[in-house]
Amino acid sequence: MKMKTLPVALLALVVFAFTGQSHAATKCGANTGVAAKGKPIIVGGIHGNAPPGDFSASTDAAKAYFDCVNANGGIHGRPIDYRIENDQWNPELAAQAASKLVIDAGAVALVANGSFIEMAVNAGTYKKANIMSMAAACAISECFESSNIVSTNQGPLPSNLGATQYAQEELGSKNVGCIGLNIPNNGPWSCKASIDLMKARGGSGSMALLNPGAPDVNSALLEIISNGADTILMNLPAGLAIAVLKAAEEQDLRDQYVWIAPTPLYDLSVPKALGKYWDGKVFVNAELAPFQIGGPDAKNWKAVMDAYAKPEDPRDTFAQSGYLSATFFVKMMLAMNPKDIDNRAKVTQAIKNISGYRSDLMCGPYYVGDSDFHMPNHAGYMVQIINGGFKIVRECYEFDSAYFKPHIAIEKKLGLR
Amino acid sequence: MRNLKHLNWMIYLIAMVAIVLFLGSGKPIKIVGLFFVSGLAIGSLYALGGIGIVVLYRATGVLNFANGAAGAAGVMLAWQFADWGIWGPFTWLVAIFVALIISLVYGRLIAPLLAWREPVVKAVATLGFALIILGIVSFIWEDDPRKFALPSDKIGVYILGLRVTVTRLIAFAASICIVIGIYFYLYHTKVGLQMRSLANDRDLSALLGIPILKVETIAWGISGVIAGFTGLMFGDLIRLEPFVITFMVIPSIAAAVCGRLDNLILVLIGGLSMGVIESLLTLSQVFKGVRPIAPFVIAAVVLLWYQRGRRLTFSGTD
Repeated sequence: MKMKTLPVALLALVVFAFTGQSHAATKCGANTGVAAKGKPIIVGGIHGNAPPGDFSASTDAAKAYFDCVNANGGIHGRPIDYRIENDQWNPELAAQAASKLVIDAGAVALVANGSFIEMAVNAGTYKKANIMSMAAACAISECFESSNIVSTNQGPLPSNLGATQYAQEELGSKNVGCIGLNIPNNGPWSCKASIDLMKARGGSGSMALLNPGAPDVNSALLEIISNGADTILMNLPAGLAIAVLKAAEEQDLRDQYVWIAPTPLYDLSVPKALGKYWDGKVFVNAELAPFQIGGPDAKNWKAVMDAYAKPEDPRDTFAQSGYLSATFFVKMMLAMNPKDIDNRAKVTQAIKNISGYRSDLMCGPYYVGDSDFHMPNHAGYMVQIINGGFKIVRECYEFDSAYFKPHIAIEKKLGLR
Repeated sequence: MRNLKHLNWMIYLIAMVAIVLFLGSGKPIKIVGLFFVSGLAIGSLYALGGIGIVVLYRATGVLNFANGAAGAAGVMLAWQFADWGIWGPFTWLVAIFVALIISLVYGRLIAPLLAWREPVVKAVATLGFALIILGIVSFIWEDDPRKFALPSDKIGVYILGLRVTVTRLIAFAASICIVIGIYFYLYHTKVGLQMRSLANDRDLSALLGIPILKVETIAWGISGVIAGFTGLMFGDLIRLEPFVITFMVIPSIAAAVCGRLDNLILVLIGGLSMGVIESLLTLSQVFKGVRPIAPFVIAAVVLLWYQRGRRLTFSGTD
């Protein structure tokens, strides 16, 4: 028995030594190295994960960061009890998830939510319950045009604008055709902003809308082409955008048009999926720092994911934004009076007071403010798909659109400009 | 009767020409041609799916909703093997083999238990089976951008201004060849005769000594092979997403309904017509929003047309 346990004990020691080293590379919250104890602080998170899409990367990353925080002193010594719900793209389940977390569990805030559905269903609930959702994977207008939701990710509208602006300034685009999802608070909303930008700059634009499960993407591509577009903006999830590019490849359209996309195509598996045909021909807007940018937060994000997330958890943009939302939440909570951290109203007010938080993962400052709209992240990078990876072709740049006028006014008021 | 048949064809042709002229009015012929050919390409996929469904239904009386899921499982495994660098033709055979095995497992182990139940129960059971397969496939392959390509994608010909790949031509030719092949199999072989007999009256066929299990196993096998091939085509020509491939069975069933779950030639024509109309609807600012429901509206119109003049009773039709 002893002979059997000795190697196991030695192995455990070695593993502990190595994992200890790995954890030492992370920096989380108070970073005391002492595990938090006492009454947990309840925080919620809702994601959508069911075919045909998985938005759980944001809550996975937030959980990893909160676990790291809990192992490093928590919030004023108390651990975060992070409870994650899955809306499965079902409005009824999304409402139930919010009710479970906000009403039944009494969460003080929601962090790193990611869904196509949840924000539209629950924006009113959050306002009524006076709770803030520091979301991370938003894709619909309600997420950016509500009083109690603020996201670290950009969503399709700014990311489309960034791609369109780059194409107009650098690639000679005059007529942008936007292929978007036929979901009113997603496709038309976000395509329209890019068309307006082109018109404001003397160009033109049009949109073609696809249903998420549509088998025939070629018709949308043909529709855009027949509208006279010289640039194709694929405002779609990665799978659908790849299908559009495959339809274009079938017809050998690569060299006749400029091909641009918002962040969903900034995924490490995309260059391989597209193949050599598209090498150097597709330009993608990245709403957070590209993976090769190695600032302190970017390094810490990777270290936290390696130490506390599952190996199979994605290391993508939503994981970055989930991590960011969690870090900003923890920073804000650590700055609060320990007596107030269970008081939802005070936590909500403290979140609304966030201003000027910075990270090398984001181009601009993060702020919340007390308004009916929130879109702090409206600057980004532009990358090109080349040599099986991504090359940065434009560093941090702010997106130019009349849409951001009210946001810029708030930023001026907060002294961020 | 013969005149009535001719009348049906005449009305169909007039309706199609009218639809093409209406939706294409004011647009350059080249643009209409592009959408027409694009529609034929997607329509041939509807037809291919519909043919697989009808072949099985005629022999076993089972409306199989799991065809798409079996094809999805096959093409996902083919992609995985290709990603590992395994020789292409072997991966394609794997896709067909996987769909064949899934089909045979259901046909031999589950379908006999429901043999005497109502058609609706049998159909719903296959839907449950499809969801189980989809769940397993989604569990193994998480949502990630992927692409499945065949070497025939690289070669293409121009038809009415649209470059059509050889893969699309294969899908189109395969749907026609399968219709012809199945027709000859059903009408010129002993097993084909037995299948028709089973489809006509299962009880009577059993009394006559037709080996029901053997004949049905062959039908499930043929259906599985068609599902595997269809899955490969869907994975290449639509996109490599198990959810989308699984539920391609829905418009495929609409195509099958156009053939009244019986006539393979009508399934082929129905599928192609659906694809063309759906594609041409894109040209209309007013109607392009209804594109997703076009196959089902067409199937409903066809059903209403077929049953005109009949009176429905509790026991069937007069």
